[in-house]
Amino acid sequence: MPYEILEHTADLRMRVAGKTKEDFFSAALEGMMRVLAEKPPKFFEKKLRQVKIESPDLTSLLIDFLNEALSLAYINKEIYIKAVFKKLSETILEAELEGAAIDGFDEDIKAATYHEASAAQNEKGEWETVIIFDI
Amino acid sequence: MIAKNNLIKIHDWLWEIPKSFRADMRVACRIYASEKMLDEIFRDRSLEQLINVSILPGIINFAIAMPDIHEGYGFPIGGVAAFDENEGVISPGGIGYDINCGVRLLRSEKKFDEIKSYLEKLGSAFYKEIPSGVGRGGRLNLKGKDFNAVLKDGAKRMIEMGYGKVEDLENLESSGFLENADPAFVSETAKKRGKDQLGTMGAGNHFVEIDKVENIFDENEAKRLGLFQDQVVILIHTGSRGLGHQIATDYIKIMMMSLIKYKINLPDRELAYAPFKSKEGQDYFSAMSAGANFAWANRQLITWEARKAWNDVLGKEGGNLKIIYDVAHNIAKIEEHSVNAGKRKLVLHRKGATRSFPAQPVLIPGSMGTGSYVLVGEEKSMKESFGSTCHGAGRRMSRHQAKREIRGSELKERLEREGIVINAGSFSGLAEEAPEAYKDIDEVVEIVYKAGIAKKVSRLKPIAVIKG
Repeated sequence: MPYEILEHTADLRMRVAGKTKEDFFSAALEGMMRVLAEKPPKFFEKKLRQVKIESPDLTSLLIDFLNEALSLAYINKEIYIKAVFKKLSETILEAELEGAAIDGFDEDIKAATYHEASAAQNEKGEWETVIIFDI
Repeated sequence: MIAKNNLIKIHDWLWEIPKSFRADMRVACRIYASEKMLDEIFRDRSLEQLINVSILPGIINFAIAMPDIHEGYGFPIGGVAAFDENEGVISPGGIGYDINCGVRLLRSEKKFDEIKSYLEKLGSAFYKEIPSGVGRGGRLNLKGKDFNAVLKDGAKRMIEMGYGKVEDLENLESSGFLENADPAFVSETAKKRGKDQLGTMGAGNHFVEIDKVENIFDENEAKRLGLFQDQVVILIHTGSRGLGHQIATDYIKIMMMSLIKYKINLPDRELAYAPFKSKEGQDYFSAMSAGANFAWANRQLITWEARKAWNDVLGKEGGNLKIIYDVAHNIAKIEEHSVNAGKRKLVLHRKGATRSFPAQPVLIPGSMGTGSYVLVGEEKSMKESFGSTCHGAGRRMSRHQAKREIRGSELKERLEREGIVINAGSFSGLAEEAPEAYKDIDEVVEIVYKAGIAKKVSRLKPIAVIKG
């Protein structure tokens, strides 16, 4: 499983992992979107959104990417099913998000936080981190 | 790692982590709790987070925790920290993502028996008039200068637009607006997230409740506030919605970047701060104040919606709903306090804590099956806790665990058997907020009462709950 929900008293703690940076970022996006909408629509008209982010390191880049996707989701009332990465380095990300319009969200995620987040490769060589979402 | 034997007992309801516990602490930490409650507090990392707050520049006297403390990010939830205006800092993590999440209490002229037969209708009318859940917009969609006027003037602007009475402003903390607010420092993204959210409740632990006054502990204070036995009152708990969340996100990023630039290492990036008098600090304070004003405007419009629902069901016979008070429990403000026998202007951070100035009403929302409290601030809070007290029950069970252990449909039936009418957007949302997921509100309130920082006036019992 690319993402797993762990216990947290007040908020939402999630572990995400991926073989490549692209898989890793996609897993985090999928995990967050699944919290927003447990059952995303199967058939939908594809909505495309462009994101460009620059951050000081990979951990911040991931959190900033999730927060950007979250803002777009709430403003446009959309859920993002897939991210196509045009550029993904340690500090720069350019991607196209593919989404579907939805009527409402299952959960109100206020933000992805930097708290506990630390993107690093584990012993299997996979990228991994824990993310706390404020809900 | 902090353990119980590291704490010094000041008295039965107050404990101290001495400054000597960790080399980087600038001040000691103080925790309002009973010995029994301390065991619960040690179950998560909230005290470690409190110690982290004590290392921040310019912190005055103590990093303070209330009995409803629990683990947050950066700062714990249920914490108070005061910083010197000139040498101290401001930290978005010390306020939280839901800027000016707060509580408002309205009083009716009716007793429970007089409206009992209308309760189902009232619950449905409130649910219809007050949009709830995530993604459901409100009745207003303001743009440009109209939206900026709300950010600038808060509840006052809503009253100018016809959503309330001028006298409503008399009973709001800070009269329902912070004068430092400047919409120019709020991003377009934040404005877009908030543009259709005025007058909406949201989801999570936010709610609107119809309650009855179950107990009066202090007759004189109750009379002064217009409260009487079995009276029907309305409790509103919500904040600045997506606008506030985005302001926090935007400025935590800005402050984190400046920490990296100035090579400042912190135990947690969510503690990111800026000197209060720096450009970053002032920009955030202007934006945060605008977010706080949005929240006061939001609770004002919800008040209008509640009044409409009340009148739609009860007509003229229903009488008026008057505001008892409105408190913020996630906010930073400039306040003057006595420090070392002199008066000093401080940047007060309250994250999951409520202002409790002497004689000021304090509203403590509990979980939906148990009850809520009306308190009044005490003089002692000015000496000990920068005029602050607790803010609620505080979670003890994760939302995930609550959903696993409690079925929303069964919970609804159980609460209805207890005479509580439930109108909720989803069963899973209801299960997350089950009474057993929260600490005992009576115990939390008892501690601040016995510690002498707030006085008990009244306990409220829910009779109808409206949730997203």
